[in-house]
Amino acid sequence: MSFARWVAIYGPTYLTGLGWTAVTAVGAACGALIWGCVLLLIRLSTGRWGARGVDAYVQLFRNTPVLLPIYLIYFAFPMIGLPWPAVVCGGLALILQNGAYISEILRGSVNAIDRVQFDAARSIGLAPWSTFRKVVLPQVLVYSIPALGNQTVLLLKDTSLLSAISITELTMQAKLLTEQTGAAYEAFIVVALLYLLLVSGTEVFFRVAHRAVRWR
Amino acid sequence: MLTSRIRHVVAAALVAILVAAGSPAGAQEKSRMDIVLERGKLIVVTLTTVPPFAFNDDKGQLVGFDIDIARLVATALFKDPNKVEFVSVSAEGRWPAIESGRADMGVGGTTTYPDRAIRVGFTRPFIDSGISVLVSKKSGIKSLKDLDQDKYTIANLNNPQMADRAKRFFPRTKILTFDTPSAQFLAVRSGRANALQIDTPSAEYWAAQNKDEMEVLPGLLGASQNNGIFMKPGDFKWWQWLDTAVAEMRTGSWYPQYSEIYHKWFGKKPPPQKFYLQQ
Repeated sequence: MSFARWVAIYGPTYLTGLGWTAVTAVGAACGALIWGCVLLLIRLSTGRWGARGVDAYVQLFRNTPVLLPIYLIYFAFPMIGLPWPAVVCGGLALILQNGAYISEILRGSVNAIDRVQFDAARSIGLAPWSTFRKVVLPQVLVYSIPALGNQTVLLLKDTSLLSAISITELTMQAKLLTEQTGAAYEAFIVVALLYLLLVSGTEVFFRVAHRAVRWR
Repeated sequence: MLTSRIRHVVAAALVAILVAAGSPAGAQEKSRMDIVLERGKLIVVTLTTVPPFAFNDDKGQLVGFDIDIARLVATALFKDPNKVEFVSVSAEGRWPAIESGRADMGVGGTTTYPDRAIRVGFTRPFIDSGISVLVSKKSGIKSLKDLDQDKYTIANLNNPQMADRAKRFFPRTKILTFDTPSAQFLAVRSGRANALQIDTPSAEYWAAQNKDEMEVLPGLLGASQNNGIFMKPGDFKWWQWLDTAVAEMRTGSWYPQYSEIYHKWFGKKPPPQKFYLQQ
């Protein structure tokens, strides 16, 4: 069977997979950004012990493969009475890990802000929360957009691991088709092309976003 | 963003892969049969997640009914059950392993389907079995009919026959789909699912291993499963020999050896293959 014919027959079955990959990636990316901001806020506002706690958290998640929390949350949580749906478990695992990375990215950007600005903010009487929201956060987000783009791409590709917990995203779709037809090359080349498309789209999005805010 | 040069390289690589994947199989190639005999060793691709067909035992050794069948094939070729090298892959890695020639043949709870046979060659089955349902005792499910309620969840494997059977026998039951039998099992054990469907020998194996928690429901899910040895299609000499070897195991001169392996893994003799033989 030629590749073109294979795509013509089985191509449409990828749409559900594409949808799940997109939904989980967008959801987890938004969640991870929020969780990363929260971790940054904890680090900046709670003194030395808060910072150590965040450090320990970041170390824990940065030094373990994300498949581990995915399995753990999905298979172990029902045993303690929390049978959340697979999408929630998988999304949560991705958020927990990528949030750790994102908080580090944001921390780097905070360090790039000139210390004088903090003094200036205090001298015009801005409260700490207002300083964070009006001075720190806008600059941090602008500085870190390229790095956040990279992290989102990594997260997008990590959604393939959700196939392990019964989510029918792109990789699972390819596995299903391979099981049905034995045509592993075709099934996975199509998936590779779709991932390439999604990743390129993500990169364009972040590039446009960066250009839009750079000159402010 | 990719630079245009990288794009060209990626495009060229993809084209190369497509051309390689699309080229006709086995056109004037040397038969695998001769390659294997020259090499003096059989290379077999297998799974490691389908007890009791192919799995790692407590000591981490690859064992199982299918593994012993592969050793029997090696014995037929080289008079030595150890002249075989196993390549362990995940379920979807089986087909590229034989298409690329990395392995000579494959085993591992692999069912013969017509749509698969377009791309993969199969021998006649070396075992056939039914599909059984394993349930957790906590669920209180006592029959196949009980299971057909929307409060229950069944764990499937990611092949289309599982989905078809679930639709036919349990239209109301919720479905989860996993990529390995061990993940299916874990789903029932953790309470994610109340039941799973799998080849009868696997279901019975797990039930025996977890007597307090799980049991196999009486009755079978209609269809039977034929598990064959698979190989790259189009190599007549190799297929012919393997098919003959399987025929000899099930109904001919190698029946005693086959019978011994069958008894070792399933605790009973294989069903009689010829009507005039008593079991």
